Amino acid sequence: MSTIRDINQYAIFKAMGALLLIEGIFILFCLIPSAIYDSECLNSLRLFDPKHDFLPLLLCSGLTLIIGSILFFSTKKLNKNSIGKREGYIIVSLGWLVITLFGAVPYMLSGVTVSYTDAFFETMSGFTTTGATIFTYIESIPKGILFWRALTHWIGGMGIIVLSLAVLPILGTGSMQLFDAEVPGVSVDKITPRIAITAKHLWGIYVSLTILCTAFLMAGGMNLYDSLCHAFATLATGGFGTKNDSVASFSPYIQYVLVLFMFLAGVNFSLYFFALKGKFQRMIKNEELRSYAKLILGVSIVIALGLILRHGIPVEKAFRDSLFQVVSIITTTGFVSTNYLTWPVYLWLIIFLLMFTGGCAGSTGGGIKIVRIVLLIKNSKLELKRMIHPQALIPVRLDGKVISQGVIFNVLAFFLIYIIVFALGSLGMTMLGLDFESSIGGVASCLGNIGPGLGSIGPVLNYGLVPDLGKWLLSLMMMLGRLELFTVLILFTSAFWNK
Amino acid sequence: MLTTLPFSFYYGGSDANAIFYSALITGIVGGSLWFIQRHYNEKDIGRREGYVIVFFTWVIMSFFGALPYYISGAIPSFTDAYFETMSGFSTTGASILRDVEIVPKGLLFWRAMTHWIGGMGIIVLSVAILPFLGFGGMSLFFAEVPGVEKEKLSPRIANTARSLWGIYIGLTFAMVLMLMLGGMNFYESICHAFAALATGGFSPKNTSLAGYSPYIQYVATFFMFLAGTNFALHYMVLKGKFRKAISGVEYRTYLMVLLIPAIIISIALVTQRGYGVEHAWRAAIFNVVSIISCTGFANEDFMLWPVFTWFILFLLMFVGGMAGSTSGSMKVIRWVVLFKNLKVSLNHLVHPTGMFRVRVDGNPLNPLNVHNVFAMFVLYLMTFAVGSLLLTVTGLDVTSSMGSVATCMAGIGPGLNTTGPVANFAHLHDFAKWVLSFLMLMGRLELFSVMIVFSSAFWKK
Repeated sequence: MSTIRDINQYAIFKAMGALLLIEGIFILFCLIPSAIYDSECLNSLRLFDPKHDFLPLLLCSGLTLIIGSILFFSTKKLNKNSIGKREGYIIVSLGWLVITLFGAVPYMLSGVTVSYTDAFFETMSGFTTTGATIFTYIESIPKGILFWRALTHWIGGMGIIVLSLAVLPILGTGSMQLFDAEVPGVSVDKITPRIAITAKHLWGIYVSLTILCTAFLMAGGMNLYDSLCHAFATLATGGFGTKNDSVASFSPYIQYVLVLFMFLAGVNFSLYFFALKGKFQRMIKNEELRSYAKLILGVSIVIALGLILRHGIPVEKAFRDSLFQVVSIITTTGFVSTNYLTWPVYLWLIIFLLMFTGGCAGSTGGGIKIVRIVLLIKNSKLELKRMIHPQALIPVRLDGKVISQGVIFNVLAFFLIYIIVFALGSLGMTMLGLDFESSIGGVASCLGNIGPGLGSIGPVLNYGLVPDLGKWLLSLMMMLGRLELFTVLILFTSAFWNK
Repeated sequence: MLTTLPFSFYYGGSDANAIFYSALITGIVGGSLWFIQRHYNEKDIGRREGYVIVFFTWVIMSFFGALPYYISGAIPSFTDAYFETMSGFSTTGASILRDVEIVPKGLLFWRAMTHWIGGMGIIVLSVAILPFLGFGGMSLFFAEVPGVEKEKLSPRIANTARSLWGIYIGLTFAMVLMLMLGGMNFYESICHAFAALATGGFSPKNTSLAGYSPYIQYVATFFMFLAGTNFALHYMVLKGKFRKAISGVEYRTYLMVLLIPAIIISIALVTQRGYGVEHAWRAAIFNVVSIISCTGFANEDFMLWPVFTWFILFLLMFVGGMAGSTSGSMKVIRWVVLFKNLKVSLNHLVHPTGMFRVRVDGNPLNPLNVHNVFAMFVLYLMTFAVGSLLLTVTGLDVTSSMGSVATCMAGIGPGLNTTGPVANFAHLHDFAKWVLSFLMLMGRLELFSVMIVFSSAFWKK
């Protein structure tokens, strides 16, 4: 019977150190746009001045790098075999918290936010690729900080891909356990160095797609800075924009480019492996991918029809707005091309319901994940059949393979805990004074890492006026949703600590 | 139907003709069907026949039960009349009547009767028929209920039904007495007692129980509580096994699910609405018991309370009372099973090779039953989502739509906003009323029995 003292805290410290070092370097990158866009930057090195963010960024980078170095280099050499699952779980959750705590400081030091609650919320929203913002006037944020904001998305996306495709399956949670371990380098028994190889491949795909997206955007007339920021936000399915009205004023071409790349970002990245190896058939036949595409197409058409027939909106715009919002919500990106709350109620209620679907497993999308929804529906249909023929043993199949009852059970349990967290979160928000619609919209959006909500935190508004306690609650929702609930909740069971 | 005639004549008799003719029609149709089928061999009732019988009986009974309202002109639209009748038989208690008090007393008594009949029917259904068909909350308790055998409907079912009906009638009498002691007249006492024991909620008063004394409201709370309890427990108490009755996990959870929200809500009412302590407690416990037992009596407009308090009530609409009672919704036992399994899932993560069995009151659960409970949960939510969407298509706002669907599926009655506790369902589009009628039926029959009838696999075999 091991106890809390048997946990390898050195491994944890070292991991925190590594994360902070990486974060510090990324913050350093923000100095470039900061200097480019601030003509008097070296003359006005000061803090708490929203017009000059060079010094704040420099100091934050330094702080993070120093503390990271201390943690990383001062802990003694690690015995690799002593890193087990428990350390893994703690590293994931604690690591997430630590990088958010430090990542919020630039906002504070530059004076862009006055309350740490706001800064923490925005940073958590960044790393979890949610995209919920407390800012109203995004365009008046200094370019260095704004770039950091976009980077938090991109880093979060990178992290989540490795987490969901490599780390979480080893720990035993996450949606990728629903598939065979096809991803090279993942061995279920212990954390091996081959994770590095896997990570490299995944990041390669991620970076390439980002570059492609940037190029396409620039071809549409967007400058490099905006293109990069939007590409970061798109591939991470985050949703932070650089304009006050998100993407509503962009040209149709730009919006269609974003639709394409949001869609691509919501696909299971391991499928891109197959594509690269020439195995296109496997990719196209993937059931989750097909369901994902069908759902998007089907709902977009329904909403577009509703807009054309009942709202009299011109055909191209109706189709574009509908497709954009549907893809944006399903992939959990959260870009807003139109104020969907001006649509007839039943159309934006569909949008709200879509917040519970999520992207494909193994993508940067959040939510419950398409594969779980597919399995839930298949299982429900089978339950009906089993009631009629109780003696028949009919298993659930995905991509032709039988899915064990144990896995189905996990999916059911996940759905249950998701709904319960949603209900309790919404209750919490109502306790803080928010109305019914804003509460359920805000929680659904943050839990699913989408961004825009309903009511007073709707698509053309922001989370600025939410009470502080509410922002902390929503930050918690964001983190729970991103880490697929169980990864965090397991830390609260007595069994975990008394193993 | 004919039992309503005495009341009709006593109060003026304008509706007597309608009632008489309805009874006549129903009697003739029923009689002829029975006559045609009189040689039918009872042993041929299998599973599939069971599902179909249950579903169609309900649909058809509601059709004929709507006749008195329709023929008398008290409810001129047949959609409305059917809605009111289905609401009656399913013991929901959602009403399309804007002014209850102008409806002739005979008809109002019929309205209360539909509740009482529905309640009686549901006891038999949930204790005997549904477990035989393979589901229903009571299938989790097979060993406990006397007379229920898994493979066939045995004659002992009749005994079980008789004892439970006895309890039901006995409790109804007790409530009538206690209400009359509080000053309520005989007619109103009977109507309210019918509605409470069936956990229905129809009241002959426009303001439901709001206009009555605190004593009456506490009596109602007490009997709603009893009606939401597993009737098998009442049976146990009568046999002297009091200790055994109160030791079950479902009962203890039922108490918790009533007391904790009530306490939270009463504190909120005192601090945020300036209620006096007694008033706050009464308002809270009455409404919590009303919602959990799925009765739906109202003693004030909870939409005027702080948002989070009626949000709690909205969430409680998904909980329900104990299995084996006349309440609806998911039922407490299912939530117990769901939570226990959640704990198992979490433990499994820590010890992936460990074997965990979920136990209820010491008995390990059959995994098939567990899967059934989960499947029901998924189906319940999906039905709720689709239903809410359909209602918004008719133009209803989100809050009212969700409230209406949740309340009708659970068989409660009052919803939220425009279909809230001081409002009614009259203003809804006809399509919405049919959707809700269907949802009431689905909820009452625990979803699967209705879904099965509509699945292709059912008819293929």
